[in-house]
Amino acid sequence: MPRTNYSAASVDANSIKYLRHRIKILRNVVLILLAIILIRLFFIQIIEHDAWLAKADEEHTLLETIVAKRGEIYMMDEGEPVSVVLNQTTYNVIIDPSVTDKDGIKRALGTYASDYTTADLDEVYNTEGLRYSIVAKNVPRTAADKIAEEGLSAVWFQPNNQRVYPEGEMASGLLGFVNSDGLGQYGVEGSFNDILSGKDGLLKATADVNKVALSIGSDNTKIPAEDGKNVVLTVDRGLQLGLEEVAANAVASTAATNAAAIVMDSNTSKVLAMVNVPTYNPGDYGNVTDASAYMNYVTDVPYEPASVCKNFAFSAAINEGLMTPETTYFNEGYEIIDGWKINNAVQSASLYGTIDMRTALSWSLNTGSIYALKLLGGNPSAINQAGREKLYDYYYNKFRLGQPTGIEIMEEVGFIPDPNEGWGRDSVYANMTFGQNLSLTMIQVATAFSAVINGGTYRTPTIIEGTLTNGELITSEHKDAIEDKILSDDTSSTMRDLLVYNRTSKRANGIDRSGYSIGGKSGTAQVIKNGAYDDTMSETVGTYIGFVGSNGELPKYTIMVKIWAEGQQIDGTQNAGSLFDSMSNYTIDYYKVQPK
Amino acid sequence: MSAIRKHKSDLVVLFSALGLMAVGLIVIYAIGPMRANVLNNTYGTDYDSDFFFVGQLRSVGLALIAFFAAFKWIPYKYINKFAKPLMIIALILSGLLWVLAMAHSSLVKCELGECRWFNIGGLSFQPAELLKLAMVIYMADFLARKREEGVVGQWQEFWLPLIIVCGLSLFLVVIAQGDLGTGVALIAIIFGTLLVSGLSAKQYLIMLAIVLGLAVGSVITSTHRMERVTAWLTTLTGGESTDSTYHIDNAMLAIGTGGMFGVGVGNSVQATGYLPESINDSVFAIMGETFGFVGLFIVIAIFGAMLLRMLKVAEGTTESNERILVVGVFSWMLAQVVVNIMAMTSLVPVTGITLPLLSYGGTSMIFIAFAIGLVLQLSCYTSREVIRNEDISSRRRLGGTHHTSSRRSS
Repeated sequence: MPRTNYSAASVDANSIKYLRHRIKILRNVVLILLAIILIRLFFIQIIEHDAWLAKADEEHTLLETIVAKRGEIYMMDEGEPVSVVLNQTTYNVIIDPSVTDKDGIKRALGTYASDYTTADLDEVYNTEGLRYSIVAKNVPRTAADKIAEEGLSAVWFQPNNQRVYPEGEMASGLLGFVNSDGLGQYGVEGSFNDILSGKDGLLKATADVNKVALSIGSDNTKIPAEDGKNVVLTVDRGLQLGLEEVAANAVASTAATNAAAIVMDSNTSKVLAMVNVPTYNPGDYGNVTDASAYMNYVTDVPYEPASVCKNFAFSAAINEGLMTPETTYFNEGYEIIDGWKINNAVQSASLYGTIDMRTALSWSLNTGSIYALKLLGGNPSAINQAGREKLYDYYYNKFRLGQPTGIEIMEEVGFIPDPNEGWGRDSVYANMTFGQNLSLTMIQVATAFSAVINGGTYRTPTIIEGTLTNGELITSEHKDAIEDKILSDDTSSTMRDLLVYNRTSKRANGIDRSGYSIGGKSGTAQVIKNGAYDDTMSETVGTYIGFVGSNGELPKYTIMVKIWAEGQQIDGTQNAGSLFDSMSNYTIDYYKVQPK
Repeated sequence: MSAIRKHKSDLVVLFSALGLMAVGLIVIYAIGPMRANVLNNTYGTDYDSDFFFVGQLRSVGLALIAFFAAFKWIPYKYINKFAKPLMIIALILSGLLWVLAMAHSSLVKCELGECRWFNIGGLSFQPAELLKLAMVIYMADFLARKREEGVVGQWQEFWLPLIIVCGLSLFLVVIAQGDLGTGVALIAIIFGTLLVSGLSAKQYLIMLAIVLGLAVGSVITSTHRMERVTAWLTTLTGGESTDSTYHIDNAMLAIGTGGMFGVGVGNSVQATGYLPESINDSVFAIMGETFGFVGLFIVIAIFGAMLLRMLKVAEGTTESNERILVVGVFSWMLAQVVVNIMAMTSLVPVTGITLPLLSYGGTSMIFIAFAIGLVLQLSCYTSREVIRNEDISSRRRLGGTHHTSSRRSS
């Protein structure tokens, strides 16, 4: 187009118009874009605001459990609490191989934590894309501090709380262990899990992307953890250690595989030792192959304690004024009741005929304790309902056999047959007089036995001395503790005489030192095989229960032992008896009981 | 230019620029310690809590020097003479960066796999920022000369050299450095300046269509870019969060939690590590969280006022190269502001572009400050009268369709 047709002025005007037009386009572009942005912002910030707040809350809020410190477990030693289960914090070392200096971490681990290194660093660093690797586990605090001082990038320390057992395997059956979820299992750890574990706290806070709590945010809350209580047991650490060794020696020197024992204060029912061998390492509980090793046989496993129950049948008849040690009966060596023939374990011509009850007890004649049951019913020639009910009343209501003793740790209940319900009650009750056909725990028997010999008072057994707060022992009373005078002083005194006689006639022989009053009774229990008592006696469980004190004084300590092995004849008089001997002597020495 | 008496510079542009720098300092002051904390925790670095604030202070100081250098001390006439050499230097530096990056030279700093920085003695320099400035100055010179020669729109005289220079620039930035953000800014500068170059609407639209087609093609053929687009569409349609939507999800979360008035300075949670690039590309989102809708409205109003005043300055310029330069700076600013904010609000895919004067980052602020300084310099020589230049220097008709105009210019 010929430009000459246009005057300078019109070119000028065209140019201006052209420019105005183009600038106007740009101006509109600016206005439209900014308007779109503002509308969008209004939508996000005003209309959707609450939804975004909710989402932010979800993303930013850190909910973290503040783990309560588990309480420690103490035993007594010379009147002072000493710890037997402690806590220790160890650390897992975690690295980010893409950031952490390889040579640096290698050197640090090699220098300070070579025993705890769990990963092959070359392999870790050769793994493509790996951002997280645990390279050492359970590193102690001091070593972890040293590694931290190296100042390497991207090294984290993850704390673990570990239970530590300064006495090793001591009292493992009593203490139990803490599993990987932090829950106490078996024994004291299991029984007192709630008290020991305390109450976890809660931290609710706005946190940064690394989950570190920020001071920003309006509803940050922190509920502090309530640490678990330190539990102090009545158990005496020195006695426990010594008796475990005694029991382990007994197991090692006989065919027995297991032994359990309890020593309690005869007058307060405080447990002073609770022994289970073999022991295991509670810090390495996972390597125990047979879960029965976790059992506390004193409280967890009811059994037939056999002839030690004669003490209870005799006590009942004597306490009712129906029998004395001089009472006589005719011993044929056996009885037939409900068609069952019940034999005495000892068959000797010298024992046949009319003998007194002292002799019957010292030879542990079943016919003797059956006679006591007959006397309880008021009919010396036969067992009757009144006798059964009387025996039940003593066993169940007075001696509290077959019911929970109320000791603070877990316990099994056991079983006492009903005097009237069911078939063959007479034979069942005849068996009960010498400790068969019922099922009792050692703690039940030992506590009832303490009542027999301490003047006749039943006291609820206790194993808790109290709690330890800031190094101070706060003794606690056993709530619901029972103190029940169940036998007369005379009955108890008579029983002590019988039991001392029992021992001096059968076991003294220089084992018991003079100046002490030591009485006891053995029990050898048949084991039920295929639903019936195995009369071949191929497997028996040996039990011995007795007391120790100074001459002429009330007994101080009740000691009960049980020793056994599957398929083995472990005998109450010999095996259990000699274990009792060792334990009673150890106890006398340990507590420096003075001879009189 | 000589005919116009020097007068006061455009105060809106001046105070907008200074105000934005001040706001940027406040924001970095508030969130810098958090950023340092996050980096220290994540990478085991050892940044002081005031590291980023001091860094930003230094950047603002250097930017102010560049700003006043362009505003007061170096005449545009002089700068215009160096349009071509400056462009060549910028292209050589960008090319050198590419070559050195391929050779894994220690002079090149790479982040997240993209090598965009020279690293010399601890100081980093991003040649792409120089390239944007060079592009503005070059286009102003080139388009004004071609216009004077009357060859605007011709193939050999106009399009061929333009395509070579622009194509090379885009190649070095988008393909070699993988810097789509700078690519968008460059395209905005090119098409912004072309719009006021006297090019016909037809040619302009054809060229725009071709470039947009190429852009779409480059997105589709690149899995990395396609991923960003998919992430954007996912967020826009409210789909499930994935790793690739993490950035935009958290930007939206920051803006959304700000509400009307914001959570206040120092109370940003998203800056504590949730939002990536919280002090650089994502600073707008943190400002949204901190200052709320009201705060963002003010910031956008400042940007808007500045951009519109730049157009006013462009209208008042008496020389075509001056006008094109101002529009170039305007386009650069507009592209960065709009693309950055729209990415943060999930209106466009995330491209990795800084918010001018507000984002942390030395090179970017220094060059944009210099460019704004130039606009201010030229704002001192605007005329509210007839654009006199047109009838003196333009011997040929502009465009082709503007036949009549009886309207008087104001």
